[in-house]
Amino acid sequence: MKRDIENHVTGISKFVDDFPTLDGTLEAYLFYSEKAHAEILNIDYASALKSEGVADILTANDIPGENQIGGIIKDEMLFAEHEVEFIGEPIALVIADTKENAKKASNKIVVEYKDLPVVTDPREAYEKGLLIRPPQIFSGGDVDSAWSGCDVVVEGKVDSGGQEHLYLETQASYAVPTDSGLKIYSSTQSPTVVQRTISNVLNIPMHRIEVDVLRLGGGFGGKEDQATIWAVLSALAAYKLNRPVKLVLSRMDDLKITGKRHPYSSDYKIGLSKDGKILAYEVTFYQNAGAFADLSTAILERTLFHAANCYAIPNVKATGISCKTNLPPNTAFRGFGGPQGMFVIEAALHKAADVMGIDVDILQQKNLIADNDVYFYGQKVENAQAVNSWQTADEKFNLDKLKKEVRNFNEQNERFKKGFAVMPISFGISFTNSFLNQASALVHVYTDGSVGVSTAAVEMGQGVNEKIIEVCSRTFSISKNRIKIETTNTTRIANTSPTAASTGADLNGNAAKIACDNILERLKIIAAQELNAKDSEKLSIENEQVYLEGQETDLGWDELIQAAYLSRTNLSSHAYYATPDIYFDRDKNIGSPFAYHVYGTSFITVTVDCLLGIYKFDSVKIVHDFGKSLHRLIDLGQAEGALAQGIGWMTMEELVQSANGELKSNTLSTYKIPDIYSVPDEVIIEFLENSENRFGPFNSKAIGEPPFMYGIGVYFAILNAMKSFDPNLELFYNAPITPEKVLLALYPEVKV
Amino acid sequence: MGRNSKSKGLSRRQFITRAGTGAVGSYVLFPALGKAETKNLSDNDPQQKYLLGDNPLSLSVNGKNIKTKVRGNTTLVELLRDHLNLTGTKVACNNGECGSCSVLLDGKVVYSCHMLALDAQGKSVTTVEGLMDGNKLSVVQQAFIEKDGLQCGFCTPGQVMAATALLSKNPHPTKDEVKEGMSGNFCRCGAYPKIIDSVLTAAEKLNS
Repeated sequence: MKRDIENHVTGISKFVDDFPTLDGTLEAYLFYSEKAHAEILNIDYASALKSEGVADILTANDIPGENQIGGIIKDEMLFAEHEVEFIGEPIALVIADTKENAKKASNKIVVEYKDLPVVTDPREAYEKGLLIRPPQIFSGGDVDSAWSGCDVVVEGKVDSGGQEHLYLETQASYAVPTDSGLKIYSSTQSPTVVQRTISNVLNIPMHRIEVDVLRLGGGFGGKEDQATIWAVLSALAAYKLNRPVKLVLSRMDDLKITGKRHPYSSDYKIGLSKDGKILAYEVTFYQNAGAFADLSTAILERTLFHAANCYAIPNVKATGISCKTNLPPNTAFRGFGGPQGMFVIEAALHKAADVMGIDVDILQQKNLIADNDVYFYGQKVENAQAVNSWQTADEKFNLDKLKKEVRNFNEQNERFKKGFAVMPISFGISFTNSFLNQASALVHVYTDGSVGVSTAAVEMGQGVNEKIIEVCSRTFSISKNRIKIETTNTTRIANTSPTAASTGADLNGNAAKIACDNILERLKIIAAQELNAKDSEKLSIENEQVYLEGQETDLGWDELIQAAYLSRTNLSSHAYYATPDIYFDRDKNIGSPFAYHVYGTSFITVTVDCLLGIYKFDSVKIVHDFGKSLHRLIDLGQAEGALAQGIGWMTMEELVQSANGELKSNTLSTYKIPDIYSVPDEVIIEFLENSENRFGPFNSKAIGEPPFMYGIGVYFAILNAMKSFDPNLELFYNAPITPEKVLLALYPEVKV
Repeated sequence: MGRNSKSKGLSRRQFITRAGTGAVGSYVLFPALGKAETKNLSDNDPQQKYLLGDNPLSLSVNGKNIKTKVRGNTTLVELLRDHLNLTGTKVACNNGECGSCSVLLDGKVVYSCHMLALDAQGKSVTTVEGLMDGNKLSVVQQAFIEKDGLQCGFCTPGQVMAATALLSKNPHPTKDEVKEGMSGNFCRCGAYPKIIDSVLTAAEKLNS
């Protein structure tokens, strides 16, 4: 069995745009709003309809069901009718024989707009009462009465920018009419959301829509909710025209139209005792949601959950305000609001340390959360690894020595200054909407002993397929070469939760393990018969061979499967897993929403060229809590990749919009993502030993999102280097800290 | 399902906008002249010829000689993907910025989205599909597998081609030279440390 990785390096791997198309396939191009906020007075399609190769132009009038694609809140129409609220909002779909003809025709559509006021800033939206939903408040203890007992109280403002996913495979879908309905090949993290939304728009039952996902060329959250619309559009066209229809976005359209990580603007107030204990923390998050809800409310909620990062704080009040602006609806991105929350508390501590005249790591370490503490939203802390990972990192990398090296360097250098920061993390694992924490798996053992596994997990580079192969291989004790992971398909696995929230391997791995265990139990009964053993409990399979009471027998996997088949044994199992013991009360905003937390500590050193404002990342040393890693190489790759994206978000990835809501950073030359030079010169990632986790298959822990947050530390390392250059530097917390911002902050008297 | 083999009348990117359908005396826009101008053309006019798909092109792709006709504005990646069904080469930006479409042109790495198919006239193109020796993976491919030098796999063909070109030019690269040689290829998954590792490992294997 060829693994995905072999197909990737040989060019065999197919992505949606690589699929062979059926004869008669049409191409679709979206006609979208060029105004961030306007009333539509008139649209003239006449000339476009006559354009070469055009098969049809679909608008809201062509929708058989509901003109609605909103998931959590039904506020987003598939096609705008009377008003547009962001640049890129769909108005019509042009379908033609070629993509070029479709695009050419769309250029001939003439819209008459009447401009309406454009809002792009979340605080301005808040002042104007433009909210996605009423504010949500999480609170623990009593923050109001805590301030009087604090020795130090610091307040301030923190901003963090958005982030473009820039999955290298752009949004794509291919819809094919079938005898009974439609089959959709979609590049989505959420096959069932695609299926349900198409069902709703076409007004046909879900069982007539088959969604199939082979793999994604990157997702990062950008294809959790925002792959849906492309699938729906292609499905609508295929359904109306009874022809296969393909829709693949160009990079520039993808950048322009799709939502990004939410920018946040936040106010904080933090109070500490003079010995450095955090006594109170109050924070208000203004989330820039864009024009429609998308996943904003769920993302904002995770911001609140992670408002205190890994610190035990007795009194916390965190308010989340989702603000409606005239930007494309912002959406999930690795960390799902968590990083935005954690950046604020880290900034607050950084500022407090500055005021107190001590190193911030002393405050960080002093307040690490531990067993028997309570996360401020009510979850009791169990199996905490915050202190353990900090201490392990200190033992392995020597915190004091690293700090001293930086001090020594800075004493000897004028233009170049080094900066050091510690970034500890705690990230909750589980969808915070508890119902999503379920998965199923379908395992077939074929008569030749090969195994096919279907789950709800979507492979997007995070290695979930390899991990599920690992789970099945270990459970059956057979070679990985016997196991194939099938596409993610809604007819084999129904009601899939999105592959998101870092839970893919946990939920689907657990379901696959249960399915394998079910089959294994039946196989043991057959083995007992074959070996004339009385008790199947005393049998085991090791390395494809049956063992009886610890002794190897001559019954192997192949013969066992043959015997099982001939004696009419069910060699398939469909199994189900739901994360136990999680809940959250949304009336009181209290509960225990996470199965567990992932912890870790990173030590970061950077060098800033204080004449040019540019910087380089010298070293990132991490001790990370992987649990008992299922696949060390994949987990390391995930940690390294997440770190790179986190560094990108904090430093170089800057979205620039004009006041009228137009994205100016709309190419890879104007929107910078980390390249090979962005990798720190030294990246050391150590596995925290002895971390157990009963919620992960074989005691593993989720990996996708948590290491992203190590990147936050880079911001403070750069700021610390700048402070060494200019002790009077006015500290600012406004990510990304681009070289331009560094330079302007170091030379504030220079006017540009 | 058979991939639609009929060659597409128009390619994805349009350097030149065609207004007519190729009939004698059709009108052509020349946006490159700054102001849109129209000009009456005959079939013998070279400008008209370039717009039609009758420009003879012969080149070698993965060791096979190809003789075909293309429009003047067909890019090399369009020729590979849409005409020759070699979909291993990916398009991610279509703007010469990301490296996903990297192929070898006479052994040198180029962005195939950023050059015309006609500019490969008489040359030898190698794509990711052409790296294997029969069923045997190339050393570079093997090293990427061994070191897990990839995640989602979309940029991988380009990375593998860039690494192949780098090592053929410089069989003993330092880490810095690897970075330089691979710096034209983005990996949004951020697999860079393992990509560097893969290239260094491939170099080691090639030298042993």
